Amino acid sequence: MTIELLVFYVFAALLAFAGLRVITARNPVHAALFLVLAFFTAAAIWMLLRAEFLAIALVLVYVGAVMVLFLFVVMMLDINLDRLREGFWRYLPLGAAVGVLVVFEMALVVVAKYYASGTLPMPADPGPGYSNTKALGRLLYTDYVYPFELAAVLLLVAIVAAIALTMRRRKDTKYQDPARQAAVKRRDRVRLVSMPAEKKE
Amino acid sequence: MSASDLPILLPAYGEILLLVLASAILLVDLFLPERLRGLTHWLSLATLAACFVLTVQVVRATGGQAAYTFGGMFVADLMANVLKLVVYAAVAAVLVYSRRYLAERGMLRGEFFVLALFATLGMAVMISANHMLALYLGLELMSLCVYSMVALNRDSATSTEAAMKYFVLGALASGLLLYGMSMLYGATGTLDLTQMAQVIAVGQVNGVVLVFGLVFVVAGLSFKLGVVPFHMWIPDVYHGAPNAMTLFISTAPKLAAFAMAVRMLVNGLIDLAGDWQQMLVVMAVLSMALGNFAAIAQTNIKRMLAYSTISHMGFMLLGLLAGVVGGNRFSAPDAYSAAMFYTVVYVLMSLGSFGMVLALSRAGFEAEELDDYRGLNQRDPWLAFLMLLLMFALAGVPPTVGFYAKLAVIDAVIKAGQIWLAVVAVLLSLVGAFYYLRVVKLMYFDEPRDAGPIAPGRDVRWLLSANGLAMLVLGVMPGSLMALCLVAVQGLYPLAR
Amino acid sequence: MLENYFPVLMFIAVGLVLGGVLLAVGRILAPHKPDPKKLSPYECGFEAFEDARMKFDVRYYLVAILFILFDLEIAFLFPWAVVIPDIGFFGYAAMMVFLAILVVGFVYEWKKGALEWE
Repeated sequence: MTIELLVFYVFAALLAFAGLRVITARNPVHAALFLVLAFFTAAAIWMLLRAEFLAIALVLVYVGAVMVLFLFVVMMLDINLDRLREGFWRYLPLGAAVGVLVVFEMALVVVAKYYASGTLPMPADPGPGYSNTKALGRLLYTDYVYPFELAAVLLLVAIVAAIALTMRRRKDTKYQDPARQAAVKRRDRVRLVSMPAEKKE
Repeated sequence: MSASDLPILLPAYGEILLLVLASAILLVDLFLPERLRGLTHWLSLATLAACFVLTVQVVRATGGQAAYTFGGMFVADLMANVLKLVVYAAVAAVLVYSRRYLAERGMLRGEFFVLALFATLGMAVMISANHMLALYLGLELMSLCVYSMVALNRDSATSTEAAMKYFVLGALASGLLLYGMSMLYGATGTLDLTQMAQVIAVGQVNGVVLVFGLVFVVAGLSFKLGVVPFHMWIPDVYHGAPNAMTLFISTAPKLAAFAMAVRMLVNGLIDLAGDWQQMLVVMAVLSMALGNFAAIAQTNIKRMLAYSTISHMGFMLLGLLAGVVGGNRFSAPDAYSAAMFYTVVYVLMSLGSFGMVLALSRAGFEAEELDDYRGLNQRDPWLAFLMLLLMFALAGVPPTVGFYAKLAVIDAVIKAGQIWLAVVAVLLSLVGAFYYLRVVKLMYFDEPRDAGPIAPGRDVRWLLSANGLAMLVLGVMPGSLMALCLVAVQGLYPLAR
Repeated sequence: MLENYFPVLMFIAVGLVLGGVLLAVGRILAPHKPDPKKLSPYECGFEAFEDARMKFDVRYYLVAILFILFDLEIAFLFPWAVVIPDIGFFGYAAMMVFLAILVVGFVYEWKKGALEWE
């Protein structure tokens, strides 16, 4: 139990540090890499909450795919760092006010009697044979089949939208069609011409 | 699990058909040559018609009773079915109005129709959601389609900017909504709206957590409705989006947003009505004030109608906030049905007025400025007359239906004992009448500036005529629609006797 | 349940320690005499022409986002594969419907040519 608590505090501190660096790092690529660290530590905390499948999915999907996209976008945008920082001080008061408000509200909820630590019983450790993934699967494909299929439709729409918005045929590419290359016959390339021998003058 | 656990699919037949046909259209469109693109248009209209008929059949089969399926996540009560019918009809009208406009601008792509149909599916899911998860997924399905529809004209910087704003602010609102939902889940231990209502009714729930969850949920909701203080996206998005997309976002999604408000606040959280009604009072008054005053200053009709949307949605909220008086729900059916009637009527008015913008636009010309409407009476008296009806309806001038809709809502507010709120609403509506009537003045008493041809096509002309005259017919005979709204609202779970 | 993941924690700890130690050893033992020329970016003997960051083609984005979408689809398949004996035919059919919807998207992107790198 104490080791678990120690691990939790280490990861929580790392998560807070990484989150802070995401918004303070000058270089957007560094910020994106700190976000990767934040996802990793968040995954570790979820693991401590015994949500093993979600923790692994977070690493697989967010660290593996979403962050790659983030890095692409960061590179694609060719961000001008100085212009990005313009107006920082101007917007600071409003941003700080909203931030303080959110912190206050969260504190109110977390500190409130209902969620304070100790009021809710710690779920019993179900033992080494228990699989969170199985428990999730049993619900997801039966009781929650409706949201599950809706998720498929959402993914379909995302495919359609992404292609509709970014696909362009480029005319200037020197594209080789392997199918056509492979289908070439000898007679398409070589022509045998029989010519009568000519005398040298 | 065994085969007998298969959920009853009957209540969701309409959605299933829509999903299957929309996917089919996506595939068919891929293999169509460019010159047959019109076929996609007709297939989409046929799909909507089929869903309309099937939904009517579902109502017959269930006898108008609420039918639950998918473990209680999906509900097909009368309100859901009625709203879905209006959504199908509204989307079909949008497709008819926007076809020529899109074709002239090279945007008549299969993706437009497919995204519109999937957005319709999202709206239907929202309307029928009895579970916060389903509600959220429906909302995202609709929003994702709408964001990309706004950005579909990729070479236009203003459309892209509008889509970007819409997307970023929409994502923020979704985040607020999810945060609120997670707090409600933390407090009640369920996401099912029926169960949530039961848990709250029993008591024993931490009030602080519940109210904070409610605040975030209402904030997310008010973004989707586009009411102050979450209205900032409306003018920019309406203005920046291509006219056809503006027509789309200003009509059917409003019905879905209304349904979402009813599902969350009435189905799930009616025992907190004392809390959320206060929030709605503030939002309604601010929306009506800001919408009506800011609209006066506009010279662009799309921006003007955008601010008018804000004020109308504020007015609609008046109906929602008049339902529960001192913990007493006796007047709730009247108030909520007035709000529903108002929303349906608003969608009809918005369809007509943005449809008119599309009808007057032509290749290379957008009839967006108020000046483009000068002397419309001399150029095309019939269209000018229809626009007059629509503007009168928006302003709430009798005998158009806009008057009756406003009357019903104000009646509900007065019955709830909020006299001052009714007075404010009437005064602000008078302010609003100014800018609608200015359009009428421009059409009838000014000389035309633009001499281009007006050729909206026969189908658009017929539909616009029906749409405009509906303002008059419904205004003279609002009884049946009003009665339908009342029966629909009475079927809601917390109000059913 | 958590004890199953103890090796992972050990692995992370060892990885962190080893990585840190190696860096520290290099820092301490290796000669360290920087000068401006050594630290300047090197571009074939010239001064650097431009910033190292350059714009990427939007096509990379399309590939990345399609990858994410199918990655998510795979993420749904994992728990399904684990519980398939328990959820019976209904669960099997649920996944088939899910996949059928995504196959529609797959056909769309294939036919549109989004998978081709021209």
